[in-house]
Amino acid sequence: MDKLIISVLGKDRPGIIAAISKSLYTLGCNLENVNQVTLQNQFAGIFIVLPPKDLSVEAIKQTLVTDSAGTGLHIHVDLADTDPNGDQAVDGEDFVITTIGPDQKGLVARFTKLIADAKVNVTNLRAVFEGGDTPEANVMVYEVYITPDTDQKGLFAGLRDKASELGLDISIQHKNIFQAINKI
Amino acid sequence: MFNEQEILSTIQMVKSEHLDVRAVTLGVNLFDCVSHDLKVFKQKIREKIITKAADLVSVCDTVGEKYGIEVVNKRISTSPIALVGAPFNADQMVEIAHCLNDIAKEVNIDFMGGFSALVEKGIANGDRALIEALPRALAETQRICASVNVATTRSGINMDAVLDMSKAIKQAAALTADDDGLACAKLCVFANIPQDMPFMAGAYLGVGVADSVINVGVSGPGVVKSAIERAIEASPDLSLGKIAEVIKNTACKVTRVGELIGREVADNLNTRFGVVDLSLAPTPTVGDSIGEIFQALGLTSIGVPGSTAALAMLNDAVKKGGAFASSHVGGLSGAFIPVSEDLNIAEAAEKGYLTIEKLEAMTCVCSVGLDMVPIPGDISEETLAGIIADEMAIGMINNKTTATRLIPVPGKKAGDSVYFGGLLGEAKIMHVAHATNKDSFVRHGGRIPAPIHSMKN
Repeated sequence: MDKLIISVLGKDRPGIIAAISKSLYTLGCNLENVNQVTLQNQFAGIFIVLPPKDLSVEAIKQTLVTDSAGTGLHIHVDLADTDPNGDQAVDGEDFVITTIGPDQKGLVARFTKLIADAKVNVTNLRAVFEGGDTPEANVMVYEVYITPDTDQKGLFAGLRDKASELGLDISIQHKNIFQAINKI
Repeated sequence: MFNEQEILSTIQMVKSEHLDVRAVTLGVNLFDCVSHDLKVFKQKIREKIITKAADLVSVCDTVGEKYGIEVVNKRISTSPIALVGAPFNADQMVEIAHCLNDIAKEVNIDFMGGFSALVEKGIANGDRALIEALPRALAETQRICASVNVATTRSGINMDAVLDMSKAIKQAAALTADDDGLACAKLCVFANIPQDMPFMAGAYLGVGVADSVINVGVSGPGVVKSAIERAIEASPDLSLGKIAEVIKNTACKVTRVGELIGREVADNLNTRFGVVDLSLAPTPTVGDSIGEIFQALGLTSIGVPGSTAALAMLNDAVKKGGAFASSHVGGLSGAFIPVSEDLNIAEAAEKGYLTIEKLEAMTCVCSVGLDMVPIPGDISEETLAGIIADEMAIGMINNKTTATRLIPVPGKKAGDSVYFGGLLGEAKIMHVAHATNKDSFVRHGGRIPAPIHSMKN
């Protein structure tokens, strides 16, 4: 059987990973990758697992839902398409785009549209909006993968224009500068 | 993957704390341009430098933009002109200076170093011609920087050269009297000059290095000051050992930025990467000052008692951080204390906290020496030579680099204002005791022998 991708969403509390991984272990599934993130008090976990050949997706999902009944967790199970993306060039470069400034609706939508229009993939995104009287507390960090066929100058100029229009301070820097300064 | 704190602290270093690459200096070896024919020599050095440096500025700008770190100054250093131009006389040396100045304009760099001579053990014909040419060469050009090494730990101090340099400095000042002796701001006298230094005015390309090389000077006094302030704010009773650790960690980060940029510039120019020179070099901008670091450490001002100890700790921590960050650290790598180039240091001198004697004491424990110090224009050749000799002695005995960049400002006296502009800054003229004395000591000439610890073999 192919690999499965399992997502778990719900209010964060101790023991979520332990409960899900215990169920998977009991079913005979092998955990290949796990990642979790907590936004405010909401938990999201993603598991990629290799299940036993004789188990169906539906049976696994049913077991997980039954095991977590009453916890308020939402569980989704599906076949994972783990084939590499055909259009992912191997010789691209990672850039980090950071914007700092006043919170307003549609910030992420406007910036990601520009990035998507340039056919650039966002590999990581974090946005922290604390609002209030400190605009510098509102930070968005996009990590993007720029391939050789990207119109880099055009994209960066567009992002800078958009930031200027929205009153945001923007920095666009190759990932290696953060690597050099922070990872020794 | 980086967390927000790592990303934001990096952005803060660049945007608020003036972290930049202060100088990317392309060293160009000119020994293959040697000719007894001045016309041929000038043509060859022109071809060679322009071929090597045609893309220097554009590559530095592109790499700087890629990483979001500005490369502030793009510069060139050459083989010592006194060596590669040894057949020529003083007038011809001045012509060479003009030629180099034109090349500097053509490749769009602000300074070119290497109008230099190495005379610690004696003055050869080319050295003599270059030293005689210095006043005119510096007064008639804008972008040429000169340096003369008059002492080493292994050879002692060439006191004839010290006196010659005193005369050359006075003449250079006189020729640029309308600009407060500006020519002297482009002239350094050295003991133990490093052959891979990227910073002006002393940069030249040594004789034992490659055909071309990229050396990088990284600065960052604002970053160090902010790191100290943050650490003390978080823990007011922090011990000096812990503060030294903070400086060391910060210097390490700054050095890694320099090496990253330097290597990429070198790759793009198809040349060799040389060294990172991590020197805390100030500019006349608030927040980009060495003097402010002393205040962050709890001293009223640079120059008060405790300053030499603070500078010793700062300089050592910077070196340790740099050495951990890169295997190719060179040049001076320490802290500069140029008076007119640092607003805070210039103010300390004006208010009387910092005297020339205290500056000299501080040069025992830091890079460079009496740097960008305006002094009264009526100082005698003997006293000026005496100041230079004292500074050279500190370098010779302590096996370290020391230098002087003194500006005897024509027609002005202690307390008067001088203005050099740009990165060279402004300051009040420092008082020099016994400035007009004509003591005979320096006129004995000859060479002060090398110290006993020079005999290491």
